[in-house]
Amino acid sequence: MKKDLISIDDLGLEQILDYLDLAARVEALPNAEKAGLLPGKILATLFFEPSTRTRLSFESAMCRLGGRVIGFSESANSSTAKGESFSDTIRTVEQYADVIAVRHPKEGTARLAAEIAGIPILNAGDGANQHPTQTLLDLYTLRKFFGKVDGLKIALVGDLKYSRTIHSLCRALLAFDGVAMTLVSPESLRLPGYLTKAAAGTTATFRESESLADALRDSDVVYMTRIQKERFPDLVEYEKVKDCYRLEAKMLEGAPARLKVLHPLPRLNEISPDVDATQHAGYFEQARNGVIMRQALILDLLDKRNDI
Amino acid sequence: MTPQNILLIPKIERGIVIDHIPAGLGIPVMALIGRWPELEDAVITLGLNYKSTRMGRKDMIKLQAEPLPPRLLQMLALVCAGVTIKRIDRFEVVEKVVVQVPELFDNLARCINPNCITNAEPHVATRFKRLESGSKHFKCAHCERVCSLDELAGHLKA
Ligand SMILES: [Zn+2]
Repeated sequence: MKKDLISIDDLGLEQILDYLDLAARVEALPNAEKAGLLPGKILATLFFEPSTRTRLSFESAMCRLGGRVIGFSESANSSTAKGESFSDTIRTVEQYADVIAVRHPKEGTARLAAEIAGIPILNAGDGANQHPTQTLLDLYTLRKFFGKVDGLKIALVGDLKYSRTIHSLCRALLAFDGVAMTLVSPESLRLPGYLTKAAAGTTATFRESESLADALRDSDVVYMTRIQKERFPDLVEYEKVKDCYRLEAKMLEGAPARLKVLHPLPRLNEISPDVDATQHAGYFEQARNGVIMRQALILDLLDKRNDI
Repeated sequence: MTPQNILLIPKIERGIVIDHIPAGLGIPVMALIGRWPELEDAVITLGLNYKSTRMGRKDMIKLQAEPLPPRLLQMLALVCAGVTIKRIDRFEVVEKVVVQVPELFDNLARCINPNCITNAEPHVATRFKRLESGSKHFKCAHCERVCSLDELAGHLKA
């Protein structure tokens, strides 16, 4: 049966760990060997909404495995203007490629694509729902920095209410052992209650903190997210909180040496550029890990994992 | 059945009785039955607000027709699970089934999430899976939105 990657909720802990191991094996391969793994294979990147970073990461992953890439990236408006149904696009493109990475502003599109297509589908983001490759690369990044995910102390900072990345990461972290999460957000952008409730019966813990400085003193990881102006009905409120969740190098002076700062990128103002030069900046390495994780996933979905 | 109710509802010789419909849902269930052309000629009796020892008040529908179309039965499970379906032959109940909430609703309702792809492409068959056994909540197999039974009952497909 063909494999897809649609939702992090489809994966058990065992499968997640297996993907982390596979990614580690991919990373250990010499570049020359990697480049010979997928000759003649084609990845189609169908981006019905723009996400340059994610698309380039998928394309880089495929190219570095010796495969080729076709695809498109639509502006927000033009995909509907064309009038072809999503189902028809998938049925057509599956004739052209061996694996499809799809991003779409509507929820449920990746699952539908997986039902329609006879070739593997990778969900590169379906509306507000899922973005599983981001979650897997985040977990891979944690394990690379710390050798494990179990027992890590992770501060989640910024917009915890709307961030799909945060929700998905949270749910995945609940499956590990004893992860302690500190939630740092404005009152109006708190983590949804269903997620904190989901921690009941697991070994994970949540605590809320008003202060970023406080979270920096006692964390292994600070995971920053964008606070978007348009999320605030009241701009006065936005002006009040925006700087409370901005990280600068001088705030990291008393932080433990092991502390790593992560961010799904692109960043706006929430991490000052002067953080980049500190030993704590982990976000560019995180982006690099995205390519490695996507390579592992493409290899697995194309049934090539035994070749490495 | 109380003697008073027997007077109020004529017995049928052959057909189907949908009993223990929660009071107020009799008319929506009638509207649902009206969607099936094969039931167009059936003689139907609709009773509202009968006294019931178990439910306080209940509605009841008797159809002189059988069997019920399977999709209608599935929709009843969505709209009013718990109703009793009795098959009547020669004025006797020969079969009695309580309609249960299933684990999966297959293409019966539209998703409540307006941004779900199944609403943009209505030819796509929807699926809603029960969160866990006993739960009144279902997850859209496509967009993963959790919907309550009541919400799905308000979004029946054509
Ligand atoms: Zn849906």
